[in-house]
Amino acid sequence: METPELNDYRAHLLDALDDQPRRAAEERPGFFQILVNHEGVGTLNCAQTDPSFAFTARERSIQHLEIRSESGVLIGGCVAPEAGQKSLRIPIGKGSVTIHVQNHFDGGSLRVRYEAAPGWWAHLAATVGLSSRPAAPAVGRTPVWTMTTAFAQIVLAVGVVSLLAERIPHWMGSDDRAHQLEEELAARHSAQEQIDRVHQQLAQLVEAQATAVAVSRSEQERIAQLNALVDTVAQTQQKLNTQVVTVQEDLKTVKTDVAQEVQTGMRVAVSAVEADRELVRQDLQSIKSVNETLIKQVALLESRNRELHARLALTSLEVAKANASAPKATVLAKNDAAKDVAIPTTVADGHREADRQAFMFWVAFEDGTTEKSIEDLVQELNGIKKGPMKSGWYSVEVNLPKPEPPDRFLESVKRAKIVKSVVTSKAMPPAQ
Amino acid sequence: MVFYGRTCRMSFDEEFATMSIKLPDGKAMRDSQIFSAGLNNVVTTEREFDELVAKSLPELLDRATGQTKRFLRETNQWGDDITHEKMALRWGYELVERFVVFGRTEVPCRPFFLLDSLIAKSFSQPDPLCYHKELLTPVGRFLDGLASRAVVSRDALIALFYHFYGFSQAHVVKLLGFGQAESQRVYKNFERWRQSGWQRTMNETGLSVSEIEVLEQELRTRPDHLNHEVDRLMPILQSHYRKSEPEHYPCLSEQKWGQLFHDDYGHDYRVWHLAFCRNCFLEVADRRQAEVSSGLKPQVNLQIHPLKKGGVLALFGGDRGGRHHGNTRAQRLSRTSA
Ligand SMILES: [Zn+2]
Ligand SMILES: [Zn+2]
Repeated sequence: METPELNDYRAHLLDALDDQPRRAAEERPGFFQILVNHEGVGTLNCAQTDPSFAFTARERSIQHLEIRSESGVLIGGCVAPEAGQKSLRIPIGKGSVTIHVQNHFDGGSLRVRYEAAPGWWAHLAATVGLSSRPAAPAVGRTPVWTMTTAFAQIVLAVGVVSLLAERIPHWMGSDDRAHQLEEELAARHSAQEQIDRVHQQLAQLVEAQATAVAVSRSEQERIAQLNALVDTVAQTQQKLNTQVVTVQEDLKTVKTDVAQEVQTGMRVAVSAVEADRELVRQDLQSIKSVNETLIKQVALLESRNRELHARLALTSLEVAKANASAPKATVLAKNDAAKDVAIPTTVADGHREADRQAFMFWVAFEDGTTEKSIEDLVQELNGIKKGPMKSGWYSVEVNLPKPEPPDRFLESVKRAKIVKSVVTSKAMPPAQ
Repeated sequence: MVFYGRTCRMSFDEEFATMSIKLPDGKAMRDSQIFSAGLNNVVTTEREFDELVAKSLPELLDRATGQTKRFLRETNQWGDDITHEKMALRWGYELVERFVVFGRTEVPCRPFFLLDSLIAKSFSQPDPLCYHKELLTPVGRFLDGLASRAVVSRDALIALFYHFYGFSQAHVVKLLGFGQAESQRVYKNFERWRQSGWQRTMNETGLSVSEIEVLEQELRTRPDHLNHEVDRLMPILQSHYRKSEPEHYPCLSEQKWGQLFHDDYGHDYRVWHLAFCRNCFLEVADRRQAEVSSGLKPQVNLQIHPLKKGGVLALFGGDRGGRHHGNTRAQRLSRTSA
């Protein structure tokens, strides 16, 4: 069907989708709504002293996670694996929100945290393994602190600020070098990021090994990526070293003692990065042998992947079909679980029959279903028809063994070919 | 149990039956051909993903809309008219909105497969879409649009008090028993809703200007009739969307509500539950009449447009005498005391 009205609507929705990234990027820290599996679970207030939010899901794992602004703009979110973990970071204004999801098959936990300005100098200081604390006295001792902020950050980052503080004026006018240093540090920063990423991917890979059978993505690709990343890190490292040499030469114009101090600082920085890289290399070595086995498994898995994907989609649709016609079954399960909550519940629909062994439900059959096949089904269920049919609905009572959850039972009733619909409601047949 | 065994086999057979039926008629083939090569290939970086998505939005929207239609057809919830087409588009849009944001956290991935699995996952939730025949009318779609937005937007959630009952920001603050800081937030909610939230929601719901005008017209000429209709539709609507409210927010007894206000806790509870539960709203509004200071019985009082800036309004309109309300409340109370 195509009408101008429909086309207009479609065009409008496309515009809105196109505009989405811009709207999300414009959001500033404030109150964020957190939705898990399409249910609101709480609010993160970025203005709090400790802007974090934690949530634990019982019954179901955390599959969908959405973070939205008060006006409903979708700022970030993810789908999480049914078992396993997922972490992500969403930039918001100058800060960011970090999300960590940890799932197991029958539940999961979520941590969301807002971090104000990332303070990349602090990050840099951490990168080179130095605390940014020496910065504090330095500021006090530097009355002629007229350097650019960027330059100050560089000095802080190499951790020689307290040494250099009194000699800062000597550095005046060396904008070129400042620029060079800035580049050098940016490179180091990105090297660290790459290392972080390798670390992260390694963690993921290790986890993937544990659940290799459940993992449907290609591990081979990941290993290739890891290798590529390690190569890049190595390259960046080389570049860093050459840059250090350049800087060293530049420093010859500066007083020798200062140069030595700076060199020391540099070396500390470089060796920190190097040590990190060595760690990654060792990690990689130790898992490489395990990977050999994994690769074989993965090859096997991959050949079955396509089939599995197809089946997953089809199965989901099957489940969807079954679920769509019987929302009550889920409501029922939910109410049951809500009973252990502190607040005494006055559950609207009160399906308390679930407690008892005798369980009653209403069932409607497809048109043209014979009385005989209805009888057969009821018999197969070990059930009893209660009373006459009311506007197309039969009331059936069954005896469920205690541990048998009624919703699962109803689910299976629904799958019978002749059954059109199943509901649970107290006494009245459901309104059509 | 014998019965379980049988059904298991049955679903398994069905699964393969669907597979073999669908492949020969070429439907599955066509589906995948709709997509450009890019969406079928592995995307390795977030940037690559963003760029590809930005230029493939029409394809993605059509794919998601098509899947939604298919789901509606297969669950006997389809009708060949513009209302259903719009509904499928709207849900398709919501799926793509999530896909665009979620997808970039899934690289490396094949966008095509990711979208399909996201859709399949969404539709496998219980009662994934609010589909009710009664909600297919203009007023039903209007209410549904508001309520579905209220699930994801606090601005819209607060606005429900105005659109359903004609409560202004001041009334909302008093009803909810909020202090200074929280009332600021409510005023901001109203402000953003007035400025852009309402219009965006109407656009995304697919209500045209003329449809809104017709509703306005009807509200002017036959307010009782339309309000009665809203009153009738609210339980359908709220029973669907209340599933989206935070877990363990059930209806409370009159006494419990009183305690909650008296001991000053459960602020989120108040907002969420009272916006989405007519019975509790009427009960609490009734009890807190002194605070809300209207002197009139709270009742359904539909508003189409958002509250104008500085707009003064007659809170509960003319007395249309709580015909149904007294009734439902009595029922609820008896259940509570049982
Ligand atoms: Zn519904
Ligand atoms: Zn309630």
